[in-house]
Amino acid sequence: MHELDGVITFFSSHHAVRAERVLQLHNIPNRTVPCPRELSSSCGVALRFPHEGRTRVAELLAIANVQFESIHHHPEAQSLPPGWTSLLQRLKRPERKGEGS
Amino acid sequence: MEQIYLDHAATSWPKHPAVLHAVLLTMETAGGNPGRAGHKLAMQAARRLGAAREALARLLGAPDSSCISFTKNATEALNVALLGLLRPGDHVVTTGVEHNSVMRPLRYLQQQGVRLTVVPCAADGLVDPDDVRKTLTATTRLVVATHASNVLGTIQPIAQLGEVAHKVGAHFLVDAAQTAGALPIDVQAQGVDMLAFTGHKALLGPQGTGGLYVRPGVNLPPLLRGGTGSASELEEHPEFAPDRYEAGTPNVPGIAGLAAGAEHILNWGVARVRAHEELLLTRFLDGLANIPDVVVYGPREPARRAGLVSLNLRGISPAALGQALEEGYGILTRVGLHCAPAAHRTAGTFPDGSVRFSFGGSTTLDHVNTSLKALEELSVHART
Repeated sequence: MHELDGVITFFSSHHAVRAERVLQLHNIPNRTVPCPRELSSSCGVALRFPHEGRTRVAELLAIANVQFESIHHHPEAQSLPPGWTSLLQRLKRPERKGEGS
Repeated sequence: MEQIYLDHAATSWPKHPAVLHAVLLTMETAGGNPGRAGHKLAMQAARRLGAAREALARLLGAPDSSCISFTKNATEALNVALLGLLRPGDHVVTTGVEHNSVMRPLRYLQQQGVRLTVVPCAADGLVDPDDVRKTLTATTRLVVATHASNVLGTIQPIAQLGEVAHKVGAHFLVDAAQTAGALPIDVQAQGVDMLAFTGHKALLGPQGTGGLYVRPGVNLPPLLRGGTGSASELEEHPEFAPDRYEAGTPNVPGIAGLAAGAEHILNWGVARVRAHEELLLTRFLDGLANIPDVVVYGPREPARRAGLVSLNLRGISPAALGQALEEGYGILTRVGLHCAPAAHRTAGTFPDGSVRFSFGGSTTLDHVNTSLKALEELSVHART
Protein backbone atom coordinates (compact mmCIF):
# COMPACT_ATOMS: atom_id res chain seq x y z
CA MET A 1 0.00 0.00 0.00
CA HIS A 2 1.62 3.22 -1.15
CA GLU A 3 1.37 6.27 1.04
CA LEU A 4 -0.36 9.06 -0.85
CA ASP A 5 2.25 11.59 0.21
CA GLY A 6 2.19 13.72 -2.94
CA VAL A 7 -0.32 16.49 -3.61
CA ILE A 8 -1.11 18.01 -7.02
CA THR A 9 -2.80 21.40 -6.91
CA PHE A 10 -4.83 22.89 -9.74
CA PHE A 11 -6.16 26.24 -10.95
CA SER A 12 -9.50 24.67 -11.85
CA SER A 13 -11.43 21.61 -10.69
CA HIS A 14 -11.94 20.82 -14.40
CA HIS A 15 -8.29 19.86 -14.59
CA ALA A 16 -8.41 18.07 -11.21
CA VAL A 17 -11.09 15.76 -12.60
CA ARG A 18 -9.09 15.20 -15.80
CA ALA A 19 -5.96 14.43 -13.78
CA GLU A 20 -7.86 11.92 -11.64
CA ARG A 21 -8.91 10.14 -14.85
CA VAL A 22 -5.33 10.07 -16.18
CA LEU A 23 -3.99 8.55 -12.95
CA GLN A 24 -6.80 5.98 -12.87
CA LEU A 25 -6.07 4.97 -16.47
CA HIS A 26 -2.45 4.32 -15.51
CA ASN A 27 -3.33 2.47 -12.28
CA ILE A 28 -1.62 5.06 -10.12
CA PRO A 29 -3.23 5.13 -6.64
CA ASN A 30 -4.91 8.49 -6.05
CA ARG A 31 -7.57 10.24 -4.01
CA THR A 32 -9.14 13.68 -4.29
CA VAL A 33 -8.99 15.77 -1.11
CA PRO A 34 -9.86 19.33 -0.10
CA CYS A 35 -6.76 21.29 -1.11
CA PRO A 36 -4.53 21.99 1.92
CA ARG A 37 -4.67 25.75 2.26
CA GLU A 38 -0.92 26.04 2.90
CA LEU A 39 -0.26 24.62 -0.58
CA SER A 40 -2.65 26.66 -2.70
CA SER A 41 -5.74 28.82 -2.70
CA SER A 42 -6.44 28.44 -6.41
CA CYS A 43 -8.94 25.60 -6.43
CA GLY A 44 -10.62 23.71 -3.60
CA VAL A 45 -9.74 20.26 -4.91
CA ALA A 46 -6.32 18.59 -4.84
CA LEU A 47 -5.19 15.10 -5.85
CA ARG A 48 -3.11 12.85 -3.59
CA PHE A 49 -0.79 10.23 -5.11
CA PRO A 50 2.52 8.47 -4.19
CA HIS A 51 5.12 11.22 -4.46
CA GLU A 52 7.87 8.84 -5.64
CA GLY A 53 6.09 8.68 -9.02
CA ARG A 54 6.00 12.45 -9.47
CA THR A 55 8.19 12.61 -12.57
CA ARG A 56 6.05 10.09 -14.43
CA VAL A 57 2.83 11.72 -13.22
CA ALA A 58 3.98 15.14 -14.42
CA GLU A 59 4.82 13.63 -17.82
CA LEU A 60 1.48 11.82 -18.08
CA LEU A 61 -0.43 14.99 -17.20
CA ALA A 62 1.58 17.01 -19.73
CA ILE A 63 0.88 14.45 -22.47
CA ALA A 64 -2.85 14.55 -21.63
CA ASN A 65 -2.74 18.36 -21.73
CA VAL A 66 -3.90 18.59 -18.09
CA GLN A 67 -2.88 21.87 -16.50
CA PHE A 68 -1.84 21.77 -12.88
CA GLU A 69 -0.42 24.38 -10.56
CA SER A 70 2.28 22.42 -8.73
CA ILE A 71 3.25 19.10 -7.14
CA HIS A 72 4.16 18.97 -3.46
CA HIS A 73 5.57 16.42 -1.05
CA HIS A 74 3.01 16.58 1.73
CA PRO A 75 2.50 13.42 3.85
CA GLU A 76 -1.04 13.09 5.16
CA ALA A 77 0.23 13.06 8.72
CA GLN A 78 1.46 16.58 8.02
CA SER A 79 -2.02 17.87 7.19
CA LEU A 80 -3.86 16.19 10.09
CA PRO A 81 -3.25 16.55 13.84
CA PRO A 82 -1.30 13.53 15.18
CA GLY A 83 -4.26 12.40 17.32
CA TRP A 84 -6.55 12.22 14.29
CA THR A 85 -4.57 9.68 12.27
CA SER A 86 -5.27 6.80 14.68
CA LEU A 87 -8.83 8.04 15.33
CA LEU A 88 -9.67 8.03 11.62
CA GLN A 89 -8.09 4.61 11.11
CA ARG A 90 -10.24 3.23 13.92
CA LEU A 91 -13.40 4.87 12.53
CA LYS A 92 -12.77 3.55 9.03
CA ARG A 93 -12.03 -0.04 10.10
CA PRO A 94 -15.59 -1.46 10.36
CA GLU A 95 -16.39 -0.33 6.82
CA ARG A 96 -13.32 -2.13 5.42
CA LYS A 97 -14.45 -5.38 7.05
CA GLY A 98 -17.93 -4.86 5.60
CA GLU A 99 -16.45 -4.54 2.12
CA GLY A 100 -14.58 -7.80 2.65
CA SER A 101 -11.27 -6.35 1.49
CA MET B 1 -20.83 4.45 7.01
CA GLU B 2 -23.97 6.50 6.45
CA GLN B 3 -23.44 9.51 4.20
CA ILE B 4 -24.62 12.75 5.78
CA TYR B 5 -25.02 15.54 3.25
CA LEU B 6 -24.68 18.93 4.93
CA ASP B 7 -23.83 21.10 1.93
CA HIS B 8 -27.32 22.31 1.01
CA ALA B 9 -26.09 25.92 0.78
CA ALA B 10 -24.01 24.80 -2.22
CA THR B 11 -26.82 22.73 -3.73
CA SER B 12 -29.68 20.80 -2.17
CA TRP B 13 -29.57 17.02 -2.24
CA PRO B 14 -31.31 14.66 -2.55
CA LYS B 15 -33.96 16.31 -4.71
CA HIS B 16 -37.64 15.57 -4.06
CA PRO B 17 -38.84 12.65 -6.24
CA ALA B 18 -41.43 14.98 -7.81
CA VAL B 19 -38.53 17.06 -9.20
CA LEU B 20 -36.88 14.03 -10.80
CA HIS B 21 -40.17 12.86 -12.29
CA ALA B 22 -40.99 16.31 -13.66
CA VAL B 23 -37.67 16.48 -15.54
CA LEU B 24 -38.14 13.03 -17.04
CA LEU B 25 -41.83 13.52 -17.83
CA THR B 26 -41.13 16.83 -19.58
CA MET B 27 -38.53 15.22 -21.84
CA GLU B 28 -40.90 12.33 -22.56
CA THR B 29 -44.13 14.19 -23.13
CA ALA B 30 -43.46 17.91 -23.56
CA GLY B 31 -40.46 17.83 -25.88
CA GLY B 32 -41.32 20.76 -28.15
CA ASN B 33 -39.66 24.17 -28.19
CA PRO B 34 -41.80 26.53 -26.08
CA GLY B 35 -43.25 29.52 -27.91
CA ARG B 36 -41.66 28.48 -31.21
CA ALA B 37 -44.70 26.70 -32.60
CA GLY B 38 -48.37 26.17 -31.88
CA HIS B 39 -48.27 22.39 -32.08
CA LYS B 40 -49.10 20.40 -29.02
CA LEU B 41 -45.58 19.40 -27.97
CA ALA B 42 -44.44 23.03 -28.12
CA MET B 43 -47.54 24.06 -26.19
CA GLN B 44 -46.88 21.43 -23.52
CA ALA B 45 -43.39 22.84 -23.08
CA ALA B 46 -44.77 26.39 -22.93
CA ARG B 47 -47.27 25.29 -20.25
CA ARG B 48 -44.42 23.84 -18.14
CA LEU B 49 -42.59 27.18 -18.28
CA GLY B 50 -45.83 28.98 -17.44
CA ALA B 51 -46.45 26.76 -14.41
CA ALA B 52 -42.90 27.44 -13.21
CA ARG B 53 -43.42 31.21 -13.57
CA GLU B 54 -46.71 31.01 -11.64
CA ALA B 55 -45.12 29.02 -8.80
CA LEU B 56 -42.13 31.39 -8.51
CA ALA B 57 -44.39 34.47 -8.63
CA ARG B 58 -46.45 33.07 -5.75
CA LEU B 59 -43.36 32.18 -3.70
CA LEU B 60 -41.81 35.61 -4.15
CA GLY B 61 -44.98 37.69 -3.91
CA ALA B 62 -44.58 39.04 -7.46
CA PRO B 63 -47.56 41.00 -8.83
CA ASP B 64 -47.61 38.96 -12.04
CA SER B 65 -45.89 35.83 -13.36
CA SER B 66 -44.55 37.72 -16.40
CA CYS B 67 -42.13 39.47 -13.97
CA ILE B 68 -40.27 36.16 -13.57
CA SER B 69 -37.59 35.34 -16.17
CA PHE B 70 -35.53 32.18 -16.10
CA THR B 71 -31.73 32.08 -16.31
CA LYS B 72 -29.21 29.32 -15.82
CA ASN B 73 -28.45 30.40 -12.23
CA ALA B 74 -28.49 33.29 -9.76
CA THR B 75 -25.12 34.48 -11.07
CA GLU B 76 -26.54 35.03 -14.56
CA ALA B 77 -29.58 36.80 -13.09
CA LEU B 78 -27.33 39.10 -11.03
CA ASN B 79 -25.22 39.85 -14.11
CA VAL B 80 -28.34 40.73 -16.12
CA ALA B 81 -29.38 43.17 -13.40
CA LEU B 82 -25.96 44.70 -12.67
CA LEU B 83 -24.61 44.96 -16.22
CA GLY B 84 -28.00 46.03 -17.55
CA LEU B 85 -28.63 48.80 -15.05
CA LEU B 86 -25.25 50.36 -14.28
CA ARG B 87 -23.45 52.79 -16.61
CA PRO B 88 -20.14 54.68 -16.16
CA GLY B 89 -20.72 57.53 -13.71
CA ASP B 90 -23.46 55.68 -11.83
CA HIS B 91 -22.99 55.03 -8.13
CA VAL B 92 -23.75 51.59 -6.66
CA VAL B 93 -23.74 50.57 -3.00
CA THR B 94 -23.30 47.05 -1.66
CA THR B 95 -22.40 45.28 1.60
CA GLY B 96 -19.23 43.75 3.01
CA VAL B 97 -20.52 40.15 2.91
CA GLU B 98 -21.41 39.71 -0.77
CA HIS B 99 -20.73 36.57 -2.78
CA ASN B 100 -18.44 36.79 -5.81
CA SER B 101 -21.56 36.56 -7.99
CA VAL B 102 -22.18 40.18 -6.94
CA MET B 103 -18.62 41.36 -6.23
CA ARG B 104 -16.99 40.19 -9.46
CA PRO B 105 -19.48 41.93 -11.79
CA LEU B 106 -19.23 45.03 -9.55
CA ARG B 107 -15.42 45.07 -9.63
CA TYR B 108 -15.60 44.73 -13.42
CA LEU B 109 -18.08 47.61 -13.63
CA GLN B 110 -15.85 49.68 -11.34
CA GLN B 111 -13.08 49.33 -13.94
CA GLN B 112 -15.57 50.66 -16.53
CA GLY B 113 -16.18 53.83 -14.50
CA VAL B 114 -19.04 52.84 -12.17
CA ARG B 115 -18.47 54.22 -8.66
CA LEU B 116 -18.71 51.49 -6.02
CA THR B 117 -19.20 51.80 -2.26
CA VAL B 118 -18.89 48.68 -0.09
CA VAL B 119 -20.53 49.27 3.30
CA PRO B 120 -18.74 47.33 6.07
CA CYS B 121 -20.79 44.89 8.15
CA ALA B 122 -20.55 43.96 11.81
CA ALA B 123 -18.38 40.90 12.58
CA ASP B 124 -21.53 38.76 12.64
CA GLY B 125 -22.28 39.90 9.07
CA LEU B 126 -25.15 42.30 9.74
CA VAL B 127 -25.32 45.49 7.70
CA ASP B 128 -26.80 48.58 9.32
CA PRO B 129 -29.31 50.26 6.96
CA ASP B 130 -28.28 53.59 8.48
CA ASP B 131 -24.68 52.99 7.35
CA VAL B 132 -26.02 52.33 3.85
CA ARG B 133 -28.18 55.46 3.97
CA LYS B 134 -25.13 57.64 4.77
CA THR B 135 -23.39 56.57 1.54
CA LEU B 136 -26.30 57.36 -0.79
CA THR B 137 -26.26 60.35 -3.12
CA ALA B 138 -28.37 61.71 -5.96
CA THR B 139 -26.25 59.68 -8.41
CA THR B 140 -26.80 56.37 -6.57
CA ARG B 141 -28.49 54.16 -9.13
CA LEU B 142 -28.60 50.90 -7.18
CA VAL B 143 -28.32 49.28 -3.77
CA VAL B 144 -27.53 45.54 -3.99
CA ALA B 145 -27.49 43.19 -1.01
CA THR B 146 -27.61 39.52 -0.28
CA HIS B 147 -30.72 38.39 1.61
CA ALA B 148 -28.54 36.07 3.71
CA SER B 149 -24.77 35.61 3.71
CA ASN B 150 -23.63 32.26 2.30
CA VAL B 151 -20.71 32.28 4.77
CA LEU B 152 -22.17 33.69 7.99
CA GLY B 153 -25.83 32.91 7.44
CA THR B 154 -26.74 36.43 8.56
CA ILE B 155 -30.20 37.50 7.40
CA GLN B 156 -30.10 41.12 6.24
CA PRO B 157 -32.89 43.65 6.91
CA ILE B 158 -33.91 43.84 3.25
CA ALA B 159 -37.15 45.76 3.76
CA GLN B 160 -35.22 48.58 5.48
CA LEU B 161 -32.48 48.52 2.84
CA GLY B 162 -35.14 48.85 0.13
CA GLU B 163 -36.64 51.79 1.97
CA VAL B 164 -33.37 53.74 2.23
CA ALA B 165 -32.56 53.02 -1.44
CA HIS B 166 -35.94 54.30 -2.62
CA LYS B 167 -35.60 57.52 -0.58
CA VAL B 168 -32.87 58.70 -2.98
CA GLY B 169 -34.56 57.20 -6.04
CA ALA B 170 -32.18 54.25 -6.32
CA HIS B 171 -33.24 50.73 -7.27
CA PHE B 172 -32.88 47.81 -4.88
CA LEU B 173 -31.55 44.42 -6.02
CA VAL B 174 -31.56 41.35 -3.74
CA ASP B 175 -29.42 38.22 -4.10
CA ALA B 176 -31.75 35.52 -2.76
CA ALA B 177 -29.51 32.56 -3.65
CA GLN B 178 -29.53 31.31 -0.04
CA THR B 179 -33.10 32.21 0.84
CA ALA B 180 -35.61 31.70 -2.02
CA GLY B 181 -37.69 28.76 -0.80
CA ALA B 182 -36.17 28.80 2.70
CA LEU B 183 -37.24 32.18 4.07
CA PRO B 184 -40.48 34.11 3.49
CA ILE B 185 -40.03 36.65 0.68
CA ASP B 186 -42.52 39.24 -0.51
CA VAL B 187 -40.90 41.47 -3.11
CA GLN B 188 -43.76 43.97 -3.05
CA ALA B 189 -44.05 44.29 0.74
CA GLN B 190 -40.24 44.37 1.12
CA GLY B 191 -39.67 47.00 -1.57
CA VAL B 192 -37.51 44.82 -3.81
CA ASP B 193 -37.16 46.03 -7.42
CA MET B 194 -35.16 43.07 -8.69
CA LEU B 195 -34.44 39.72 -7.10
CA ALA B 196 -32.08 37.00 -8.31
CA PHE B 197 -32.83 33.42 -7.27
CA THR B 198 -31.23 30.06 -7.89
CA GLY B 199 -33.30 26.98 -8.63
CA HIS B 200 -31.04 24.29 -7.19
CA LYS B 201 -30.78 25.22 -3.52
CA ALA B 202 -33.83 25.67 -1.26
CA LEU B 203 -36.17 25.54 -4.28
CA LEU B 204 -35.00 21.93 -4.77
CA GLY B 205 -34.73 22.18 -8.56
CA PRO B 206 -31.98 20.90 -10.85
CA GLN B 207 -28.65 22.69 -11.20
CA GLY B 208 -28.50 25.07 -14.14
CA THR B 209 -31.79 26.75 -13.23
CA GLY B 210 -32.41 30.16 -11.70
CA GLY B 211 -34.07 33.41 -12.52
CA LEU B 212 -34.70 37.07 -12.05
CA TYR B 213 -37.72 38.98 -10.79
CA VAL B 214 -37.96 42.47 -12.31
CA ARG B 215 -40.63 44.83 -10.99
CA PRO B 216 -42.90 46.19 -13.73
CA GLY B 217 -41.69 49.71 -14.47
CA VAL B 218 -37.97 49.00 -14.03
CA ASN B 219 -36.39 49.55 -17.44
CA LEU B 220 -33.66 46.95 -17.50
CA PRO B 221 -32.00 46.25 -20.86
CA PRO B 222 -31.25 42.55 -21.48
CA LEU B 223 -27.78 40.98 -21.51
CA LEU B 224 -28.51 38.70 -24.48
CA ARG B 225 -30.62 39.25 -27.57
CA GLY B 226 -31.88 36.64 -30.00
CA GLY B 227 -34.74 34.32 -30.80
CA THR B 228 -37.69 34.38 -28.44
CA GLY B 229 -40.43 32.87 -30.59
CA SER B 230 -42.28 36.17 -30.22
CA ALA B 231 -42.37 39.22 -32.53
CA SER B 232 -40.60 37.09 -35.13
CA GLU B 233 -41.31 39.63 -37.89
CA LEU B 234 -38.89 42.07 -36.23
CA GLU B 235 -35.11 42.03 -36.20
CA GLU B 236 -35.18 44.06 -32.98
CA HIS B 237 -35.33 42.20 -29.68
CA PRO B 238 -38.72 42.49 -27.89
CA GLU B 239 -38.96 44.82 -24.89
CA PHE B 240 -41.66 42.94 -23.01
CA ALA B 241 -40.95 40.54 -20.14
CA PRO B 242 -40.30 37.69 -19.80
CA ASP B 243 -39.24 37.31 -23.48
CA ARG B 244 -36.88 40.27 -23.14
CA TYR B 245 -34.63 38.30 -20.77
CA GLU B 246 -35.02 34.85 -22.33
CA ALA B 247 -33.26 34.88 -25.70
CA GLY B 248 -32.64 31.39 -27.03
CA THR B 249 -34.21 28.04 -26.18
CA PRO B 250 -34.60 27.69 -22.42
CA ASN B 251 -33.76 24.68 -20.24
CA VAL B 252 -37.36 23.39 -20.24
CA PRO B 253 -36.71 20.05 -18.46
CA GLY B 254 -34.68 21.80 -15.77
CA ILE B 255 -37.24 24.55 -15.27
CA ALA B 256 -40.04 21.95 -15.13
CA GLY B 257 -38.05 20.32 -12.31
CA LEU B 258 -37.71 23.70 -10.64
CA ALA B 259 -41.50 24.17 -10.94
CA ALA B 260 -42.05 20.83 -9.17
CA GLY B 261 -39.64 21.87 -6.41
CA ALA B 262 -41.28 25.28 -5.99
CA GLU B 263 -44.76 23.70 -5.95
CA HIS B 264 -43.61 21.25 -3.29
CA ILE B 265 -42.37 24.16 -1.17
CA LEU B 266 -45.64 26.04 -1.71
CA ASN B 267 -47.68 23.00 -0.63
CA TRP B 268 -45.45 22.32 2.34
CA GLY B 269 -45.23 25.99 3.26
CA VAL B 270 -42.14 28.19 3.54
CA ALA B 271 -42.98 28.75 7.22
CA ARG B 272 -42.65 25.00 7.89
CA VAL B 273 -39.37 24.81 5.96
CA ARG B 274 -38.11 27.68 8.09
CA ALA B 275 -39.34 26.15 11.37
CA HIS B 276 -37.48 22.91 10.55
CA GLU B 277 -34.23 24.78 9.81
CA GLU B 278 -34.52 26.87 12.99
CA LEU B 279 -34.96 23.69 15.03
CA LEU B 280 -31.78 22.22 13.50
CA LEU B 281 -29.90 25.51 13.97
CA THR B 282 -30.95 25.76 17.60
CA ARG B 283 -29.77 22.23 18.40
CA PHE B 284 -26.51 22.67 16.49
CA LEU B 285 -25.60 26.07 17.96
CA ASP B 286 -26.47 24.91 21.50
CA GLY B 287 -24.31 21.82 21.08
CA LEU B 288 -21.40 23.73 19.55
CA ALA B 289 -21.30 26.07 22.55
CA ASN B 290 -20.25 23.07 24.70
CA ILE B 291 -17.40 21.84 22.50
CA PRO B 292 -13.95 23.18 23.40
CA ASP B 293 -11.98 24.97 20.68
CA VAL B 294 -14.93 25.36 18.28
CA VAL B 295 -15.19 28.91 16.93
CA VAL B 296 -18.61 29.73 15.42
CA TYR B 297 -19.06 32.66 13.02
CA GLY B 298 -22.20 34.69 12.43
CA PRO B 299 -25.20 35.53 14.63
CA ARG B 300 -25.79 33.61 17.88
CA GLU B 301 -29.58 33.63 17.47
CA PRO B 302 -30.98 30.95 15.12
CA ALA B 303 -33.76 33.36 14.10
CA ARG B 304 -31.19 35.70 12.52
CA ARG B 305 -29.60 32.97 10.38
CA ALA B 306 -30.29 31.10 7.18
CA GLY B 307 -29.87 27.33 7.67
CA LEU B 308 -26.09 27.27 7.77
CA VAL B 309 -23.25 27.51 10.29
CA SER B 310 -19.59 28.23 9.49
CA LEU B 311 -17.04 27.25 12.11
CA ASN B 312 -13.44 26.34 12.76
CA LEU B 313 -11.60 24.16 15.24
CA ARG B 314 -8.85 26.28 16.79
CA GLY B 315 -5.44 25.37 15.38
CA ILE B 316 -6.84 23.10 12.63
CA SER B 317 -7.07 24.03 8.96
CA PRO B 318 -10.58 23.94 7.44
CA ALA B 319 -9.34 21.50 4.76
CA ALA B 320 -8.09 19.06 7.42
CA LEU B 321 -11.35 19.28 9.37
CA GLY B 322 -13.45 18.80 6.23
CA GLN B 323 -11.39 15.76 5.25
CA ALA B 324 -11.66 14.20 8.74
CA LEU B 325 -15.43 14.79 8.83
CA GLU B 326 -15.85 13.00 5.51
CA GLU B 327 -13.42 10.13 6.05
CA GLY B 328 -14.24 9.45 9.68
CA TYR B 329 -17.95 10.20 9.80
CA GLY B 330 -19.30 10.46 6.24
CA ILE B 331 -20.24 14.11 6.84
CA LEU B 332 -20.04 16.20 3.67
CA THR B 333 -19.39 19.91 4.28
CA ARG B 334 -17.94 22.84 2.39
CA VAL B 335 -14.46 24.01 3.36
CA GLY B 336 -12.43 27.08 2.47
CA LEU B 337 -13.53 30.49 1.26
CA HIS B 338 -17.01 29.69 -0.17
CA CYS B 339 -16.56 32.16 -3.12
CA ALA B 340 -17.02 35.16 -0.83
CA PRO B 341 -13.68 36.68 0.26
CA ALA B 342 -15.41 39.85 1.52
CA ALA B 343 -17.56 37.87 3.96
CA HIS B 344 -14.50 36.02 5.25
CA ARG B 345 -12.71 39.35 5.80
CA THR B 346 -15.75 40.51 7.78
CA ALA B 347 -15.73 37.33 9.90
CA GLY B 348 -11.94 37.37 10.33
CA THR B 349 -11.56 34.02 8.54
CA PHE B 350 -9.59 35.31 5.54
CA PRO B 351 -7.54 33.71 3.97
CA ASP B 352 -7.96 30.26 5.56
CA GLY B 353 -11.75 30.17 5.41
CA SER B 354 -14.04 27.95 7.45
CA VAL B 355 -15.99 24.71 7.46
CA ARG B 356 -19.63 25.26 6.58
CA PHE B 357 -22.47 22.98 7.68
CA SER B 358 -25.69 23.76 5.81
CA PHE B 359 -29.10 22.20 6.27
CA GLY B 360 -32.04 21.35 4.05
CA GLY B 361 -35.34 19.49 4.02
CA SER B 362 -33.62 16.09 4.22
CA THR B 363 -31.50 17.07 7.24
CA THR B 364 -32.57 15.44 10.51
CA LEU B 365 -31.79 16.04 14.17
CA ASP B 366 -29.81 12.77 14.02
CA HIS B 367 -27.54 14.32 11.36
CA VAL B 368 -27.00 17.34 13.62
CA ASN B 369 -26.30 15.14 16.65
CA THR B 370 -23.82 13.02 14.68
CA SER B 371 -22.07 16.21 13.55
CA LEU B 372 -21.81 17.42 17.14
CA LYS B 373 -20.44 14.06 18.28
CA ALA B 374 -17.89 14.09 15.45
CA LEU B 375 -16.73 17.62 16.27
CA GLU B 376 -16.45 16.79 19.95
CA GLU B 377 -14.38 13.66 19.22
CA LEU B 378 -12.13 15.52 16.77
CA SER B 379 -11.72 18.38 19.21
CA VAL B 380 -10.63 15.98 21.98
CA HIS B 381 -8.23 14.04 19.74
CA ALA B 382 -6.69 17.18 18.28
CA ARG B 383 -5.27 17.85 21.71
CA THR B 384 -3.79 14.37 22.25
